[in-house]
Amino acid sequence: MIWVFAIVMGVAVAAGTYLALSRDLFRMVVGLSVIGAALNLLLFAAGRLDSTAPPIIRAGEQVLAHAANPLPQALALTAIVIGFALLCFSLVLVVRLMRATGTDDARALRAAEPPSGEGVKPPLEDI
Amino acid sequence: MIGPAVAATGELAPATPSARRLLGYAALPLTLFAALVAALASVPLPWSVHAAWVPSLGVDLAFHVDGLAAQMLLLICGVGSLVFIYAAGYLAGTPRGGRALLLLSLFLLAMIGAVSADNLLLLFVFWELTSVLSFLLVGFSHEQEKSRKSAQQALLVTGGGGLFLLAGFLLLGDLANTWSIRELIAAAPHLVDEPLLPLALGLVFVGTFTKSAQFPFHFWLPNAMAAPTPVSAYLHSATMVKLGIYLLARLDPAFGQLLLWDVVLVAVGSITALWGALHTLRERDLKRILAWSTVASLGTLTMLVGLPNPAAALAVASFLFAHALYKAPLFFVVGNLDHGAGTRSIDHLTGMRRYMPWTAAAAALAALSMAGLPLSFGFVAKDVITAAKAEAELVALAGHAAVIVGAVSVAVAAVASLHVFWGRDNASRDAHPHEAPWTMLLPPLALALLGLLFGIMPATVDPLLAQAAQAMAPELGAVTVEASYDAAPVLTALALTLLFGGAIYAFWDGLHRTLERASWLDAYGPAAWYQRKLQALSHIAAWHTRLLQHGLLDRYLLTVLAVVTAVALLALFLSAGRWQWPAAQGVSLPLAAAGAIAVAGALATLRARDRFVLLLASGLVGYGCAALFLFAGAPDLAFTQFAVETVFVVVAAAVLPEIRGRRAAAPALPPPARIEPLKLLVAVAFGTTLSLFLLRAAGLPFDTALSEFFGANSVPVAHGHNVVNVIIVDFRALDTLGEIAVVAFALLAASPLFKLARVGRGGTP
Repeated sequence: MIWVFAIVMGVAVAAGTYLALSRDLFRMVVGLSVIGAALNLLLFAAGRLDSTAPPIIRAGEQVLAHAANPLPQALALTAIVIGFALLCFSLVLVVRLMRATGTDDARALRAAEPPSGEGVKPPLEDI
Repeated sequence: MIGPAVAATGELAPATPSARRLLGYAALPLTLFAALVAALASVPLPWSVHAAWVPSLGVDLAFHVDGLAAQMLLLICGVGSLVFIYAAGYLAGTPRGGRALLLLSLFLLAMIGAVSADNLLLLFVFWELTSVLSFLLVGFSHEQEKSRKSAQQALLVTGGGGLFLLAGFLLLGDLANTWSIRELIAAAPHLVDEPLLPLALGLVFVGTFTKSAQFPFHFWLPNAMAAPTPVSAYLHSATMVKLGIYLLARLDPAFGQLLLWDVVLVAVGSITALWGALHTLRERDLKRILAWSTVASLGTLTMLVGLPNPAAALAVASFLFAHALYKAPLFFVVGNLDHGAGTRSIDHLTGMRRYMPWTAAAAALAALSMAGLPLSFGFVAKDVITAAKAEAELVALAGHAAVIVGAVSVAVAAVASLHVFWGRDNASRDAHPHEAPWTMLLPPLALALLGLLFGIMPATVDPLLAQAAQAMAPELGAVTVEASYDAAPVLTALALTLLFGGAIYAFWDGLHRTLERASWLDAYGPAAWYQRKLQALSHIAAWHTRLLQHGLLDRYLLTVLAVVTAVALLALFLSAGRWQWPAAQGVSLPLAAAGAIAVAGALATLRARDRFVLLLASGLVGYGCAALFLFAGAPDLAFTQFAVETVFVVVAAAVLPEIRGRRAAAPALPPPARIEPLKLLVAVAFGTTLSLFLLRAAGLPFDTALSEFFGANSVPVAHGHNVVNVIIVDFRALDTLGEIAVVAFALLAASPLFKLARVGRGGTP
């Protein structure tokens, strides 16, 4: 089972990373969502996959019998929700950026680092 | 680069101080000198003081003054007193003159610390202090670019050498297992066979050679003449540049028996002496002439330290002393000429004795000693050097170097006294020359007269020099300077030197013109090499800034991910021998199907041309992951993931028309369906690395204590049967509250942004 998780996680992370490396802002956000889903798999699988029984204590019993590890599930649950909130936030940021700059090309966003020749970095020949 | 730093400290000093005010600073060296002489007369050497400073590191405030240190202290305080008096006259009326004297006072204290320290690390601290103070003093006239560049060069060369010295000290201290210099010398015989000893000594050599301006690190010294003249006389002739020689002499009893030590010191010393003598003849600026002859003298001293016989120790001590007694007054003389006649060029300086008789007298007396004529202390030193060389089996290079340097010294002495003061008066001079004030006449006259006095009565300094020599060569018995020479070879050598020196003086202009044409010396010398390296440094910085700081956001991310992946893979690779692959178990069909859906979705995102298709494909990955959770025993996760994924796809689809509308107006991006190989490679490597980490983690022992605690306490303590829910709302309730706050904040931040965006578009909110 760990192999299935590892392979799916690896493929999804690779695809998500490739999207996030794109110049297109929308693809970057979609890439983040794919990476987020894959990393939740990693978090979950890192807590070991010994049992496929849900960690629910049967009625009348006091202690959890042999079942899946509940702790990583709780952590992953938190991660899913927070990841979702931040994804929505970045989506809004992209829309806002596009409206403000008129482009969704990450390479065109040069306000912080204007292209060379505009006096920010020393030209080679002047030194 | 250096200007602002120097300028910042300059603001503190008063504008233009008077000579009377500056003379107050001389109280410090005079007091110290008086105390030192009194102590030397009453308390026998050696003196030791010891106090713990950083005991955990073995760094102690350990001071030990033996004969060698005492001689250096006398030079530092004695020459220092006269330099301070001279500086008061020289810098009177100069803006920030008080700052120069303050820095000189600090320098004096740092030098005292350096020559009396008995702890390698303590010595290093004082050593670096002198480098920094030298930088500040060379850059004193920081309005001039030449000054700033010279200061930078002095700091880079001596400071860089200091780092080598530190490395050498650390290695030596580690080998000898002590930081105390005396203990190191005692332990030295056991270190001879250490394989790391040559490396340690090589590092110490670099440090001392940079400080004492030995070839090929000598070029900073002539450039340091941009400093005010008293600074040049004090730091760059009499004291600081001797620090390297001092350290070599200090370590000579420990390593003097090593062939490496002797060969390196004699070779480097001889080459430096020759190189300095050669360049002396290329200069027309009297101060730079003296600077190059100082380089030659320092080379001679290094060579003498390298000579294995004990008589050389006496030669080192005598020459150290003689050099300070004649070179400092000659520098003062140049300062007076500069001050009175407004030039330092020997082309314009002739017949000055009519205008500056006292300066002329001082120059003549100092020149006697520099030329090594009888009745001067320079003669005594020369005798001792001749005797030392006679005892050693010298290679031809060293022998010839000494003769040539001696001859050039005679010529320089003649230029500084005869040519400048006694030649035909040159009427083309602009300013009317005038004699210097008493503060600038007393110091050169006093030092030059002392040189003469000790020359006539060498017995007065005998005890001092003998003790210094014994510190360098413990096997040396009671020696006297007087008794150590034999008249015949000395007089032969003197005649030879005078003959050669006279010839050089007679043909000075011709030699100068010939050497001036030898421009290859400038093009290929170490100084040119330094310039090229300094420029290369700027170019490398600019090139690498352009390479890494290009402003392309996707490339930044690519670089970061590539580095992280490389480091993580390296960590995996290094532990590769210790881990095993987890066993492949049977996988249920639903689980496999869920995985296949996620993989299919992920692969589809790569090929999706349309944004909406892309979004749906990413939703497929999310659904596949959710299904995986479902079949792996995590229904809560699965349902949350289903819900979140659905909502995200809906929200993103809602803003998609907006983005599409914008997209049409924006310049075209490369088509998304075309795969970029480099990015794909990094992405796949990153994904693979995470997979490997997961597989690696699965094989490690696992601590389930926390999970068992939750499993055992959910029902009794929190009265809940779904352990995951209990953890979230009970055991980690505060975390969950924080999580809710994050979601709320994200919404709070997003909504005005979104509204603002609508207003920006011109529509109604």
